[in-house]
Amino acid sequence: MNLSIVYRLVLKDWYLQRLSILIALAGGLLGMGVVATGSSASFILGAIALVTVIIAFGANNAIATMVNERKEQTLPFVMSLPISYREYTASKILGHLILFLIPWLLITLGSLAMLWISPDHKHGMIPYVAIMATEMLVGSCLIATVALITESQPWTVACIMVGNVAFNIVGYIVAHIPSIARTLFGATLQWNAASVGILLAEFAAAALMLTLTFVFQARKKDFL
Amino acid sequence: MHSEPILSQFVISQSDARPMYLQIMEQIRQRVAVGEWSPGDEIPSIRQLAVATRVSVITIKRAYLELEREGVIVTQHGKGSFIAPNPDLNPRIYDEELDERLEQAARLGALLGLAEDELAERLREATTRLTENQTTESTETIRETV
Amino acid sequence: MNEISVQFEAVSKRYPHFVLENIHLKLPTGSIMGFIGANGAGKSTTIRILMGLVHQDSGQVHVLGHPMPAGQAAAKRDIGFVSEDMRLYGPATLAWHMKFVQSMVPNWDAPYAEKLLQRFDLKPQQKIKGLSHGQRVKAALLLALARRPRLLVLDEPTTGLDPIARHEVLGELMAVLADEERTILFSSHNTQDVEQISDQITFIDRGQIVDTDGKEVFLDRWRRLRLQLQPGAALPNLPGIIQVGGSERLPVLTINCFDPAMLSACQRWGATVQAVDSMTLEEIFVANVHSRREQVTA
Repeated sequence: MNLSIVYRLVLKDWYLQRLSILIALAGGLLGMGVVATGSSASFILGAIALVTVIIAFGANNAIATMVNERKEQTLPFVMSLPISYREYTASKILGHLILFLIPWLLITLGSLAMLWISPDHKHGMIPYVAIMATEMLVGSCLIATVALITESQPWTVACIMVGNVAFNIVGYIVAHIPSIARTLFGATLQWNAASVGILLAEFAAAALMLTLTFVFQARKKDFL
Repeated sequence: MHSEPILSQFVISQSDARPMYLQIMEQIRQRVAVGEWSPGDEIPSIRQLAVATRVSVITIKRAYLELEREGVIVTQHGKGSFIAPNPDLNPRIYDEELDERLEQAARLGALLGLAEDELAERLREATTRLTENQTTESTETIRETV
Repeated sequence: MNEISVQFEAVSKRYPHFVLENIHLKLPTGSIMGFIGANGAGKSTTIRILMGLVHQDSGQVHVLGHPMPAGQAAAKRDIGFVSEDMRLYGPATLAWHMKFVQSMVPNWDAPYAEKLLQRFDLKPQQKIKGLSHGQRVKAALLLALARRPRLLVLDEPTTGLDPIARHEVLGELMAVLADEERTILFSSHNTQDVEQISDQITFIDRGQIVDTDGKEVFLDRWRRLRLQLQPGAALPNLPGIIQVGGSERLPVLTINCFDPAMLSACQRWGATVQAVDSMTLEEIFVANVHSRREQVTA
């Protein structure tokens, strides 16, 4: 796999999506500003705003860079360049994930850091926040997988909606797992089998999805 | 070597019913006949002419092969194509075309029910008309220049 | 250098409603092949298989020495491809596309690209979405030509172009062939263009190659013979009669292997030859396809 080719394809997509990237950036800054005002209400509002921005941007980017290549019929143009299916797939996944990971890492690490240094030591929340943040990562990988493999807007939109609902359901279920619920509002950081297990399962799921994407793309007999 | 402007003066008529390679051959022969290309002159390569006339290489190649066979041009491998030292401008192809047309005339004559000498008379009339037209044209040209 | 730029051996591809069968193709380096077929005949599928964008079910494909689709990334370094269903990125400018392609290919020729901008009358700062259809086609062709490809693969390059633009495009295509190491394969509905600039012609119909040969061979071999028969006489027994039209006493024979000796054969048979018409490529193609389809249904 030619990495410089992949790099240039990623840059191409980022250039074409520059407007939506800027908008997401602005929304993210706004959300963080709201959180930084300090009150617990603004914390929740800000958190919701940030999560929305991340999810919305991820969904838009997946459709714009992966589904639209087929819809807008630019796929033959890209594939006329000296690239293989693998390099195409790699550039789409990398381009999408990096755009997702940058704000995601900032916000997740930022939130975890705030929980750590918070005056009333809300350390108990840390595993939960880590799990939910990683859940968003899994969702993002899922959207990329579905968008690339199906190249269909209906399927991708369905996946986004399912992902959203699942996020809330998972949030509820995990918060009510006895071993986690016990320490949720406590002041001590406690990782237990359940929380570690769920976190590892999430990472595994993300890795699995990305691998599956490459496998499916390689086996496509009609790339065009 | 001939420059671009001269090359592009080779004009192929799409409405001309004759095969393209014959048109090319005729235009080359005409250039030699009027003296624009002299014996020994280098003529455009097959590819150069193909590009200039937008006609396929294979057609130009055929034209050049036929012209070489008739002794109008010579091709030296690796060096290019040149007008032959003594170009024979009386093409066998015209001979064949004449035969074909005469046969066609014979058929038409038979259709019209003409006898052999009536057909010959018609040919004579046509030749006379041609000579008259040519004389009139040259007289007019003379009048214009005077 | 390879002597054969493109080679298909027994290539087949099956779709639910369409089958491409047993495709054999040989495209010598330095030549230009015209690919003629009705809509849905399989031209685009064959071209996509050539580009490695569709994987054949069986058979071998070699392009510029690379097996396809496995070697497509390497092969495409030297291939310029424009298809009718290809679009450029609307919100971006032509200049951006030129820079992008330049960054992705080894042989971008910037001075030549500038010349093409002028010849095709395109403004680089214009966004693609603001271009007319003809301008978009010319833009895509510019991007393919300026790559100086060894092989140019064009699916309907002149469809939808006005006569002026078509004339310019044909001129640029022929200019590519000034270099005898470069090859062109193009499919077109415009049989007149194909007839003029192609060295080799391939007819495809309903997923099968119907005929492939040198252009001059086609034009030499095919004739329409207009005969007049004696009352009650049968048709002369000539080889290669593809179609019989006209009336009983004035038949018109379409022949695919004409020889001047046939004329005397007709006369010996008692038939009067009224005319021997040569045929345009379009007439040849239509006659070829019609007779094949009749054979299949018979």
